[in-house]
Amino acid sequence: MSVDIQLAPVIHFEPGKIGGDTTRSGHLAATALRAGSLIAFVAILVVFSATAPYFLSVGNIGNVLGQSAISGVLAIGLTVVLIAGGSNVVTGGIDLSLAANMGLSAAVYATVAQLGYGDATAVAAALLTGGLIGAVNAFAVVGAGIVPLLATLAVMNIVAGLELVLTQNTVIPASTPLLTALSSSGPFGIPALAYVLLAFTLIAAAIVQYTPTGLRLYAVGEFPDAARAAGLPVRRLLAGAFVASGLCGGFAGILSVSNLSGSTTGSGEMLLPVVVTALLGSVFSRRLVPTVIGTLLSTLFVGFLVNGFQLLNISSVLVSGVQGLLILLVVSATTLLRRQEA
Amino acid sequence: MSLQTSPIEASGLPRAIIGAIVNNALVLALIAVFAVFSFATPTFLTIANLQSILVNNFTLLAIVAIAMTFAVSVGGIDLSVGTAVDFASFAFVSLVLAGQPVFIAALAGLGAGAAVGAFNAILISGIGISPFLGTLGTLFIGRSIQQLLTNGGNPVYLPPTGVPEAFRFLGRGAIAGIPVPLVIAAGIIVAATIILTRARFGRVALAIGIQPSVVRYSGITARAHVAVAFILVGLIAAVAGLILSATVTVYIPSSGNAFLLNAIGATFIGTTLSRLGRPNVAGTVLGVLLLSIVANGLLLTGLNFYWQQVGTGLLIFAVLALSFINRRKATA
Repeated sequence: MSVDIQLAPVIHFEPGKIGGDTTRSGHLAATALRAGSLIAFVAILVVFSATAPYFLSVGNIGNVLGQSAISGVLAIGLTVVLIAGGSNVVTGGIDLSLAANMGLSAAVYATVAQLGYGDATAVAAALLTGGLIGAVNAFAVVGAGIVPLLATLAVMNIVAGLELVLTQNTVIPASTPLLTALSSSGPFGIPALAYVLLAFTLIAAAIVQYTPTGLRLYAVGEFPDAARAAGLPVRRLLAGAFVASGLCGGFAGILSVSNLSGSTTGSGEMLLPVVVTALLGSVFSRRLVPTVIGTLLSTLFVGFLVNGFQLLNISSVLVSGVQGLLILLVVSATTLLRRQEA
Repeated sequence: MSLQTSPIEASGLPRAIIGAIVNNALVLALIAVFAVFSFATPTFLTIANLQSILVNNFTLLAIVAIAMTFAVSVGGIDLSVGTAVDFASFAFVSLVLAGQPVFIAALAGLGAGAAVGAFNAILISGIGISPFLGTLGTLFIGRSIQQLLTNGGNPVYLPPTGVPEAFRFLGRGAIAGIPVPLVIAAGIIVAATIILTRARFGRVALAIGIQPSVVRYSGITARAHVAVAFILVGLIAAVAGLILSATVTVYIPSSGNAFLLNAIGATFIGTTLSRLGRPNVAGTVLGVLLLSIVANGLLLTGLNFYWQQVGTGLLIFAVLALSFINRRKATA
């Protein structure tokens, strides 16, 4: 079998050790956590808007949305894998190759565009690259049975290397009609990327949250044996989740080319922030599970935080610390909660 | 590779070694890579180059990967090993720069690494957060703290002249002709092997990684053992931090994270050495050796630097795929 690693807490607590009416207090605490995270989100918005007048203007909100587009698309891709792979990050769902995938797809797009091909070809090439990377992950996890954490780690290295081979570690400039459209402003002076993020989220949410396929993904992630017993094609669904995540990487690659008017190196830096964002997303859902909308909220939460810090001239070095604290707070709260419910 | 050999139990070292070679993709890959580079490049199989592999490629990664092995042994993972490396390096370099004795500075460095481990221990054993998420949080917080300490990420340099002799010795000295970092790494490898295979603590730790509930029902305090394991991770990683800063005489914020993915890779490649997929020190060391030899060998072939990364990735992928397919067949 696979490597015996539990992501699930190493220490399990005996049921009934913590006294009191556990179900009711558990419900209360769950409600408190969900409400708490939303209240924290709103509180941050209020504090920033009170201290920085420009913060709540339409233009600024649009900017935050636009700047969050790339990480949002990546985090949503990861969310699909988290849903289908289950909550155990090591043996279950994780895709560490996403950020590198974005880098390579961006490089492919820029290279193809520079060779003089049109947007359609370049877009197809970028999405094909992303999809192929996803397919390799799917083969490694479903076919070869490698633990996702390791499989996608190895693929990440290969993909990052291929990006360097293709770009020779330089910036590849690109300028196409599509890129111009993506980097322009849409209605209300809001960046086009903001609309792209919202549209992408809506489509992804519609598929994942409201179709039978989406429901099956949850079933596969939460209880693979039951899903198999119910006749679901578990392996095919899991493989599909990895391919979908790969396609998101390819799409994010195109967006990143438009954002930076070329493909740049250093995409690997985005990996851990995207992982944190996707994992944080589950606090914004009703049952504390990963959802597309939850991930969008968590992306925006981080986006507003970074933006507010900039407006208030607070050093941006605090951002990663705040992200770290947030994830610890959220996870401690959920853990303590589960302990009560047990 | 034969699939019919019976599972190897802890029954005698020779049988285990033979079984490992018969069964294992890792050992075969190591031999293959060694042979290919020996033929492909005239310089690979020279004493000077082999020594350079050990000193430049192997030592630091081996220490960090062994730290990781402890985390994986208790069924966890530690994404903040790089943070422990960095904190140790920062404390060490800052105190030496402030004129403190090297011995005191080194102790402070070890303490800083252990503190990172203790923080993880509180999160994991105290609160009950899963190791992946807890140490991910530590990684992010650690990054901010380092940037705050260094005015947004400025390196802390030691002047090239006037570095204390003991400091230089730790990074570039030699005992009986063997470089000091290598001696330290060897010491840690031996100690870790003894702790994980011979000491009671190690057996309990491995048992927690395999079946936590059994450990609990046996009346053993799993939480305390997990906590100690994570403090050990920080402490061992701190040693790498000390050697790193003594070698390059500078502390660069968040530079320790460079070890993270390779350390995870080496540890998990190492688990393929055990038929049951358990983390073990020998496997980890062979995993690090494989990564080091490939890095060095590809460099010598004069292959484009960027292709080297692709080559390393493909090799790791192949080893993992082979051994996992193999294991699946064996258990099917």
